[in-house]
Amino acid sequence: MKINFTLNGKETSGDWPAEKRLLDVIREDLGLTGTKEGCGEGECGACSVLLDGKIVNSCLIPLGQAEGARVVTPEGLKENPRGKAILDAFAQAGAVQCGFCTPGMMMAAEALLSRNPKPDEQAVREAISGNLCRCTGYDKIVLAILLAAEKGDGLW
Amino acid sequence: MVETYRPESLQEALEIRARGALPFGGGTDLMVARRGYTGNLPQFDGTLLFTDRVAELRRITVAEEVMEIGAAVTMTELLEHPETPDLLREALALIAAPGIRNRATLGGNIGNASPAGDSLVPLYLYDARVELESLRGSRIIPLKELITGVRKLTLADNELLTRIILPLTVFTRTSYRKVGTRRANALSKLSFSGALTLKRDGTIEDLRIALGAVAPTVVRRETIEKSLQGKSLEGLNPKETAQKWANDITPINDQRSTAAYRKQVALNLIAGFIRKAQEEL
Amino acid sequence: MKISQSITRFDAWEKGSGETRYVADLEVKGLNYGRFYRSPFPRGKIKAVKVPPLPEGYHVVDHRDVPGENCIAMINKDWPAFAVDEVRYIGQIILLLVGPDREVLDRLISGIELEVEALPPLYTMEEAEAGRSAQGETAPPIRGDSNLYADYHLSIGDTSSAFARAARVVEQTCQTGFQEHIYMETQGLLGWWEEGQVAITGSLQCPYYVKHASQVVLGCSEEAVRITQAPTGGGFGGKEDYPEIMGAPLAVAVNKLKIPIRIIFDRVEDISFTSKRHPAKISFRTALDETGEILAMEVDTQLNGGAYESYSCIVLQRAIFHALGVYCIPHARVRGRAWVTNTVPSGAFRGFGAPQALYAIETHMNELARLKGEIPGDFKRRYLIKTGDPTITRGFMKDTIIMPAMYDRIDQISGYRRKAEAYKNHPTLGIGISFFNHGCGFTGDGEQRLIKARAKLRRDEEGRVEILTANVEMGQGVLTTFRKIVAEVLEIPPETIIHTNPDTNRVPNSGPTAASRSVMIVGYLLQEAAKQLKERWAEPGAIEAEAHYTMPPGLTWNQDTMEGDCYPSYGWGINVVEVEVDPETFEVETRGIWAVYDVGVAIDNTIMEGQIEGGMIQGLGYGSLEKLEVKDGKFHQNTMADYTIPTSLDFPTTVSETMENPFEYGPSGAKGAGELVFDGAAPAFSGAVENALGRAMPRIPLTPETIMEVLVDEN
Repeated sequence: MKINFTLNGKETSGDWPAEKRLLDVIREDLGLTGTKEGCGEGECGACSVLLDGKIVNSCLIPLGQAEGARVVTPEGLKENPRGKAILDAFAQAGAVQCGFCTPGMMMAAEALLSRNPKPDEQAVREAISGNLCRCTGYDKIVLAILLAAEKGDGLW
Repeated sequence: MVETYRPESLQEALEIRARGALPFGGGTDLMVARRGYTGNLPQFDGTLLFTDRVAELRRITVAEEVMEIGAAVTMTELLEHPETPDLLREALALIAAPGIRNRATLGGNIGNASPAGDSLVPLYLYDARVELESLRGSRIIPLKELITGVRKLTLADNELLTRIILPLTVFTRTSYRKVGTRRANALSKLSFSGALTLKRDGTIEDLRIALGAVAPTVVRRETIEKSLQGKSLEGLNPKETAQKWANDITPINDQRSTAAYRKQVALNLIAGFIRKAQEEL
Repeated sequence: MKISQSITRFDAWEKGSGETRYVADLEVKGLNYGRFYRSPFPRGKIKAVKVPPLPEGYHVVDHRDVPGENCIAMINKDWPAFAVDEVRYIGQIILLLVGPDREVLDRLISGIELEVEALPPLYTMEEAEAGRSAQGETAPPIRGDSNLYADYHLSIGDTSSAFARAARVVEQTCQTGFQEHIYMETQGLLGWWEEGQVAITGSLQCPYYVKHASQVVLGCSEEAVRITQAPTGGGFGGKEDYPEIMGAPLAVAVNKLKIPIRIIFDRVEDISFTSKRHPAKISFRTALDETGEILAMEVDTQLNGGAYESYSCIVLQRAIFHALGVYCIPHARVRGRAWVTNTVPSGAFRGFGAPQALYAIETHMNELARLKGEIPGDFKRRYLIKTGDPTITRGFMKDTIIMPAMYDRIDQISGYRRKAEAYKNHPTLGIGISFFNHGCGFTGDGEQRLIKARAKLRRDEEGRVEILTANVEMGQGVLTTFRKIVAEVLEIPPETIIHTNPDTNRVPNSGPTAASRSVMIVGYLLQEAAKQLKERWAEPGAIEAEAHYTMPPGLTWNQDTMEGDCYPSYGWGINVVEVEVDPETFEVETRGIWAVYDVGVAIDNTIMEGQIEGGMIQGLGYGSLEKLEVKDGKFHQNTMADYTIPTSLDFPTTVSETMENPFEYGPSGAKGAGELVFDGAAPAFSGAVENALGRAMPRIPLTPETIMEVLVDEN
């Protein structure tokens, strides 16, 4: 069926099965591969995107529920000063290793900071609790998000 | 080809439901249950009824110590609502992770009827009722009468779960405990909630215990609770009192835990709830 | 600037922004997909494979299409690329189905039927030893005339006499479970036909392993196969062996069909059928004198190798070489056996046998300390091996050892000794400590005899330097550390050096990205090559400098007798974990994690910290959470919901330090670190739980269920 939504600020429309995963549409039909698939069952958060400003697992969103929504992927986030601040903090803190969870982590960081620009460590750990990472043990990711909040002061 | 509908009014939703459509809330259970191999479509057949745009199902109202929650209200919305009772809030906060809670709905958690559905335990404790509507009318029944077994509901094929009615009973003491497969983003091995109100003389006015994932449906035994009313809290032996529930705790071995563990810990948590209440007398 | 001072990783921004293209992200014209049809039976003789009629454009690729040897060429060649006449585990590859539409492939796969004449399966080491299934049926050996891949014996001193003198003999058996890697990116490869070559790219650790396996299965020359590494979303050993197991069949398919084919595993397929860490059962008999001091020790190490040999024999070697941990036990016998069973073949996983051995010896030392009434840290400290002491392989410890200073330091930062005393009688609090080392590089003379690593540097006409090695970036940071090593010698900024993912058409074989060898072995070769390049810098035009591995002087090894120096050097570590056990639910809350390491010299402090923090949390998952059970021949936990790895809320921040102890034959003094950081966390955790509850609990993962069982058994 015909579906319209806003992807990274751009009006996007197409003819897709309404039950198709938002993840597959973004990655395969629209070519934005920054969003990753780690588990396909909403456990790992590698496919995190923002749907109307809220973090969601795009592997669990049937496209029909994205009709009319604003969707932001890592490709959209990186063009935004907030996204740049988060990226810089991740790089500086050493929060990136294999990188497969990182785009999803960036989305979780943005989702947190847009609601709580001055989080404490516990709030950061809670905000990324649905984003699994097997490389870092999370310490550097937590540090990076706290650093982004500090350095990007005023952006959120 | 799967047909999908995303109505904006309850009337429309009931019409679609009357044609046998599968109610689809946030999809966080359904999309997992019906997932295909990576890159493939989820395997649905028939018609899907997306409830996320139905205005009537997205409302929370509070009046006269009753909270009415639309079935399509998300976990996050409930968590952020100032009137949500702490016990329910504690349970919701430990469900999955933010990305799931932003989509998962209270109605969906009920409709999924999993023994490990975490919102069910506090809802049973509060004697929640549910409204089931169809084009022919509506009925309100206790939640425990809706869920009859693992993934089994008494919901008619043309009915839609529309509202959860939660009496905002005030207790002097409540406790929620989820024992999950890990500390966050976890499925429950079992879960516990307890509530207690004492009279001035230290006797029990109201004691409620609800347990999740230790039987096909949530364990709540009013007969046991009633038998303790009027008794002195101080006089209870916590371990022996907990044993009253032993026959109702009939867990299974599965990939997440063992029957023996579930049973022992459930009893420990009941005893611990009583003991801690005694300590704070 | 000292080399350890951190710089920003070169791959950070591109990965974080989502620009990095992993193998599933590559756009390919005319792409076909591959799906494996796997055996639904654990054991039997194949009678028939029934494939429904295929639509046009869909192809079956199986053993009949193999032009070379139908095997996965690893240490042994026992594992068929495609099953021919027998199946040995649920999930064994029967055929590869190829076609353009994944929905159609899915339907076709579910229509394939396998007929077998079933044989009784043996899933556990006990069943394999007894030759009897869980149902009590007598079962012929799975392979050859016994269910053993190997039965090794090591000994030093005069163990029998020491046992004869003993006042007391203590016996203890320690057990560890399967572990799944859960690299965040599932296994994935893409193959295509290009200019007379079978080309494969994908998520992999060892390009030359995949190349070798492809050559053998194709029966072709070196020039006919090209392997490139795509950005790799985590490996941890899981992409050391599995890319060969899926790559050889893929190479056959590309060779046959000459079309691009991509195989990306769904997570359930990945958890269900890829290699796992070997489960272990390690039994100790220790002779004590009247005062509780150790006279001698016997260690019996058994690993479940699964249905095909894969790396089981060398995993077992590493396990037995680490059997005595970091202690000097002058009289000791060590036996090691790896069993053939009908489970998914066990394979490489960060640590490669050492974590099982180190968990066991540390747990046993905790028990001996408890019997003596001494806190484990002080007890272990007294038995620490020293430079020149004999090792279990009748060699002598060559390392300069700074473990005593490391013990003092970790005690300072964690309060270990004070807490260990204080918690002796505390009902719920506990603190545990682990001492450990990890042999860097291949065991024995493997680097010299098998790998023969080469590393190359090229300076082009414009003066740009390029690193050419086969080692891959999989998160551990080689794209940054290798540049730093070369930049240090050449005195040029690291960002001016070119270093991209390896392509076997361009890079020499510097060996696998495994065994904590990249920095210490290959990094050292790069340092040597950089020195050559520096000397020849004035030469005009493009120049290349290449270094070849030679064993450091003074080391000896005899692989037949397993005697000599089993590793060129070791990384060393001490971990402390503090816990609180919930008396109602038996859940364990980790309250503190401390670590001190000797990795020689860290090439980059931030990268090193990242290894420590990630390795320790993975090790804590292994010790506490990551339960993986076999039920009816299948893994019972086959989703990420049920196989639970740590989240950001499971463990607190790790407090860690490294203490410098430069190694002469490591680049800038560096030793291997990638596996060491995994080894100590599980025994420190379980030791803390034991300390809290005042009793031995020699089993990991030490789940709340296990804790309850032990407590109930004892009451």
